Amino acid sequence: MCLLIIGLSFGCKKPYLPPIISSPGTYLVVEGIITGGSQSTVIKLSRTVNLSSAVSTTPVRGAVLAVESNQNDSFPLLETNPGRYVSAGITLDNSKKYRLRIKTADNKQYLSDFVAVVNSPPVDSVYYKTSTPGLTIYADTHDPQNSTRYYRWDYQETWIIHSTYDSYFKSNGDTVLSRDLVNDNIYQCWSSDSSSTIVLNSSAKLSKDIITDNPITFIPVNSEKIGIKYSVLVRQYALSADAYGFWQNLKKNTEQLGSIFDAQPTQLIGNIHSITNPSEAVIGYISVGNVSSQRIFITNQQLPNWVAGRADPNCQLDTFYYVYYPPGGKIAVNQVNQFINYKKGANSPLIPVNAISPPGAPKPIGYSASDPSCVDCTLRGTNKQPAFWK
Amino acid sequence: MRKIYLLSFCLLFVLQIASAQQSNVKLISGNFQQATIAQFVSELESKSNFHFYYDPIQFDSLRVTLQVNDKPLEAVLDMAFKNSDFHYAITPQQQVFLTKGRQIRTELASGFMQATPGNAPVKQTTTVVDYTDERDKKVPEATTENKLYEIGAKTNAIKSGNATLSGYIRDIKSGEAVTGASIYIANTKSGVATDRFGYFTITLQRGRHILNVRGIGMRDTRRQIILYSDGKLNIEMQEQVNTLKEVKISADKVANVRSVELGVTRLDIKNIKQIPTAFGEADVLKVVLTLPGVTSVGEATTGFNVRGGAADENLILLDGATIYNPAHFFGFFAAFNPDIVKDIELYKSSIPEKFGGRLSSVLDITNREGNKKIFTGSAGIGLLTSRLNIEGPIVKDKTSFIFGGRTTYSDWLLSALPEAYKHSSASFYDFNLDISHQINDKNNLYLSSYLSKDKFRLNSDTTYSYSNKSILLKWKHNFNTKLFSLITAGVDRYQYNISSSANVVNSYNLGFDINQSNFKADFTYYASSKHTINFGLSSLLYKVDPGTFEPNGTKSLILPQVIAPEHALENALYLGDKFDVTDNLTISAGVRLNIYNYLGPQTIDNYALNLPKAAVNVLDSTTYSSGKIIKTYMAPDIRISARYLLSDDLSIKAGYNTLHQYIHLLSNSTSISPTDIYKLSDPNIKPEHGDQISLGLFKNAKSNTIELSVEGYYKRIRDYLDYKSGAVLLLNQHIERDVINTQGKAYGVEFLIKKTAGKLNGWMSYTYSRTFLKQDDPNAGELINGGAYYPANYDKPHAFNFTGNYKFSHRYSVSLDVAYSTGRPITLPIAKYQYAGSERVFYSDRNAYRIPDYFRSDFSLNIEGNHKIHQKTHNSWTIGVYNLTGRQNAYSTFFTEQSGVISGYKLSIFASPIPFVNYNIRF
Repeated sequence: MCLLIIGLSFGCKKPYLPPIISSPGTYLVVEGIITGGSQSTVIKLSRTVNLSSAVSTTPVRGAVLAVESNQNDSFPLLETNPGRYVSAGITLDNSKKYRLRIKTADNKQYLSDFVAVVNSPPVDSVYYKTSTPGLTIYADTHDPQNSTRYYRWDYQETWIIHSTYDSYFKSNGDTVLSRDLVNDNIYQCWSSDSSSTIVLNSSAKLSKDIITDNPITFIPVNSEKIGIKYSVLVRQYALSADAYGFWQNLKKNTEQLGSIFDAQPTQLIGNIHSITNPSEAVIGYISVGNVSSQRIFITNQQLPNWVAGRADPNCQLDTFYYVYYPPGGKIAVNQVNQFINYKKGANSPLIPVNAISPPGAPKPIGYSASDPSCVDCTLRGTNKQPAFWK
Repeated sequence: MRKIYLLSFCLLFVLQIASAQQSNVKLISGNFQQATIAQFVSELESKSNFHFYYDPIQFDSLRVTLQVNDKPLEAVLDMAFKNSDFHYAITPQQQVFLTKGRQIRTELASGFMQATPGNAPVKQTTTVVDYTDERDKKVPEATTENKLYEIGAKTNAIKSGNATLSGYIRDIKSGEAVTGASIYIANTKSGVATDRFGYFTITLQRGRHILNVRGIGMRDTRRQIILYSDGKLNIEMQEQVNTLKEVKISADKVANVRSVELGVTRLDIKNIKQIPTAFGEADVLKVVLTLPGVTSVGEATTGFNVRGGAADENLILLDGATIYNPAHFFGFFAAFNPDIVKDIELYKSSIPEKFGGRLSSVLDITNREGNKKIFTGSAGIGLLTSRLNIEGPIVKDKTSFIFGGRTTYSDWLLSALPEAYKHSSASFYDFNLDISHQINDKNNLYLSSYLSKDKFRLNSDTTYSYSNKSILLKWKHNFNTKLFSLITAGVDRYQYNISSSANVVNSYNLGFDINQSNFKADFTYYASSKHTINFGLSSLLYKVDPGTFEPNGTKSLILPQVIAPEHALENALYLGDKFDVTDNLTISAGVRLNIYNYLGPQTIDNYALNLPKAAVNVLDSTTYSSGKIIKTYMAPDIRISARYLLSDDLSIKAGYNTLHQYIHLLSNSTSISPTDIYKLSDPNIKPEHGDQISLGLFKNAKSNTIELSVEGYYKRIRDYLDYKSGAVLLLNQHIERDVINTQGKAYGVEFLIKKTAGKLNGWMSYTYSRTFLKQDDPNAGELINGGAYYPANYDKPHAFNFTGNYKFSHRYSVSLDVAYSTGRPITLPIAKYQYAGSERVFYSDRNAYRIPDYFRSDFSLNIEGNHKIHQKTHNSWTIGVYNLTGRQNAYSTFFTEQSGVISGYKLSIFASPIPFVNYNIRF
């Protein structure tokens, strides 16, 4: 239901499915940044897909990529994953300009414009502030030379998650065994996510090149992310004015729509062009320069008395017996096999959590168990502690 | 006063004429040396039985030096007044009337015996009046329909040829001018309508005529005249008190067919008030949107589009003042107080020569004059806004004022909302104060002033505010019955401000303003019964401050940035003639010469010829000193329209007009937003111009109560400014590098059926229209849609409107408003891809798709309080529902990423039925 409220909210936002729209062709999408030193250059190549398509991208394989300078240096990139092209050691010379050359498997050639090296100044600090609705991560930076002016940030979040139930047992399919709590822990995991919004800021209108209180991301108060311990790596990119325009346009076109005073969507113009067919649209902007970053950790104890909504209300623990007589039944049923041991009849096996051992019983007469989504945290993350974690 | 005193005496005595009374003739002797009139008269009275009547002021220059011996009174007076302008008249009752300039006739006027006996004495009054001096002549205030008014200097035999009758039509109760009232002379089938001051002038054959007078919301009346020579007649009309049978009388019953203009609609505030609006308050702009040929990009938008023109191509005038932002509260309310507005006129095609400077239309909003007789007022209370107006005489029958104010108190509603909206606030107000003063019969002064302000903050720390201000002085002068002038001088200002203080380092204040000083002199000359000539000049001095960006607070590091102010002078001279070629054919033709000067101080970049206007192509720049003319654009506008009467109630009309516009609105949002900027034409930005050809067929049926029309048009728009992808419009020092000249074409056909009288009245229209734009500037770089035509944002091929009002009784009426149109074009994504951690979309050619069709119906019930005319307050209620069916019309559709996945959304405004109630009180 739409609310009858005033102001912009007088309106209401509803899902909208346009008539089937398909584009006449697909367009090459080039994403990445040319970096130097210890940072490896990663360029992702893909093609657009139809809106109705189930996949959101199709990687472009088998292309030949190289970073070129305006003084005839050339650094080839290698395809490490489908559509992902990497070069480890490019040494950037600030006096040179660089571009990216792409030759796809179907022999089409693309070139980006020559771009000067713009290195990002260090991130001064990454910090957070709390408010009633949640927690906001901020980043500050400054350039003493007052020459950077345009910035973009992205981030990688990692946080500890706990399963609803801590399992001490596991099934090998045939039978229930004790769990190796060191190597086969499925109670505590690390989940991670990366930014999906474009964060931009500029000090172009300021007398000094200083960015303060620049919001990076917001975490609602009841988010699982800050239930135990949370870490965020904020990466900072320096941009040219032109690149800033591209990113701003991309943000406007895809994130900032839906208000009354919307700008009309416009066509994106990046700095990559097709040599084979100059009228072909190519999506993407290649910048050159080193990236700076900073990581912070936030534990739940540091935060006000927030109760993170961790417990999944859909999770429940049931009890299953080796010998069980259904109500009014005469024949015993092995519920452990039926629900837990997947080689012995359990179709969608549950994970045993605790043993049911009445006093005096030599061995358990059954187990409590729950759905894997309530017990196995590796379904949502990894139980290997990330290297950076502390 | 003394004169009136004298006149009443005259009247008294004339009335007493019963039978001739013979008296003895006394001879007079005397010696007068430089005697004043008082001495002279008292001497004569003492020496005779005569009694003298005269106006001492008229005779204060008279000195009598005379020696007489035993002469009759006639001889004495003959000698005394010899070679002077003084006259005398002696009645058998031994009364002597002394007059200056003219002699009083003491016998009955011819034609007296034809009039009904009961009216005879009254008629006689006017006769007497006519004999007073022409300059000081009292214009008869007509109050009765059966009276015969004698106009001009009476002659025994009516001369042949034509004479001109002029005067004012006013509301008898308030003294307010009745605009657009029609005077129709049945036997010659000629007619005329009053102008915005209630003034009319008509040239007729000398002789007897019956004038049928009709005005919107006024009771029909008529006047009988005998026209001897040029003269004046003021007509007072009574307000229509609705009865069951009579509901509304249109002033322009015959105008639909007979007027020479095409594409002109006049609406009275009473029509406007019948139309249900979202919050129950009559809304001038919403009504405009129900007219054929007018579209908008959606609900709650500030602008409207007329026949394919952009929103900034409409000249919106409030009593002559230019209003740049005609809306309040994100466009939910029009910025015009419905209690003050008298009527509106929208010119879509035949734009009179006196208007110019905009490409598509003129919306001329006229405010009422204050009540010249008594203090009255009204107040209205709605859910979101309240308004009050007070009016009354300052000097009775001469000077009056009208004041209106509106404000909103929507903040209580905003604060009652969920957290997400709690921190929003919005407020607005507007005030009107108009004073009108009648200096004398020939001179009127009008002062009008307007102030509006909007301020809002939407869930952020950024505050937006904007304001319109204007003050205007008008002087209307009648040189004679054929020539009158209107001199206008005023200043208008529009400004907005955006400020933010959330982050002390980035706190800023951003300001924009536009100031215009204007002077206009408009003359109308009724040359003959066949020619009406309009001529005049207009001068507009612009000063635009395109942006000041300043730190807000001492800790702010914002670098102050000021874009140099722009100055320009827009002058125009115009001349137009409405020529009645034959009884059936009328042509109105005019020319308006526009002379635009872009003025210094300014620094202008000179770009290399035939290369894109970009930083790399700047050759050099020139700095001009203050007041220096940098660039002059001169172009004539042509305005022609013609009407041919095929029969009494059927006519065909055609028109052609050209227009130029020197001020451009730069907006990269779909609708006008409060942060758009205005840019003046300069050496690098050409003026917009366009032309339109139109043809129409007009028919009246059922004794002029049903009006039908079909109009078609084709229009070209040249050098309309669009912006490049990624353009920065605010605080841009070199805006010419970010805009592209765009060409447009629009065509359409409009059908309108209007019922102007009866229990059911209203109108219904259907319009088929298309509007296309294209960018064909080879130097512009990347072109939208590759330089091919694309539909404009407001291109809605099919539009249907019904607006109706049904009166059940004196007190109850219902209104229904139905609107349907094709959905407006939008740019939809055609492909998606992964970028920067999220799905993103790739957009189609501009406006290649459309949002779903638009449909809305509104309903309202108007309840009037009791209809006793004499009571302290008159109350009325309006109850209704906006968007009765609750259809969720799409305002826009958009595709945006949420948690890394692209989803399509539809934004609707007023997506559910919105009930409203409004209470109005008149006192």
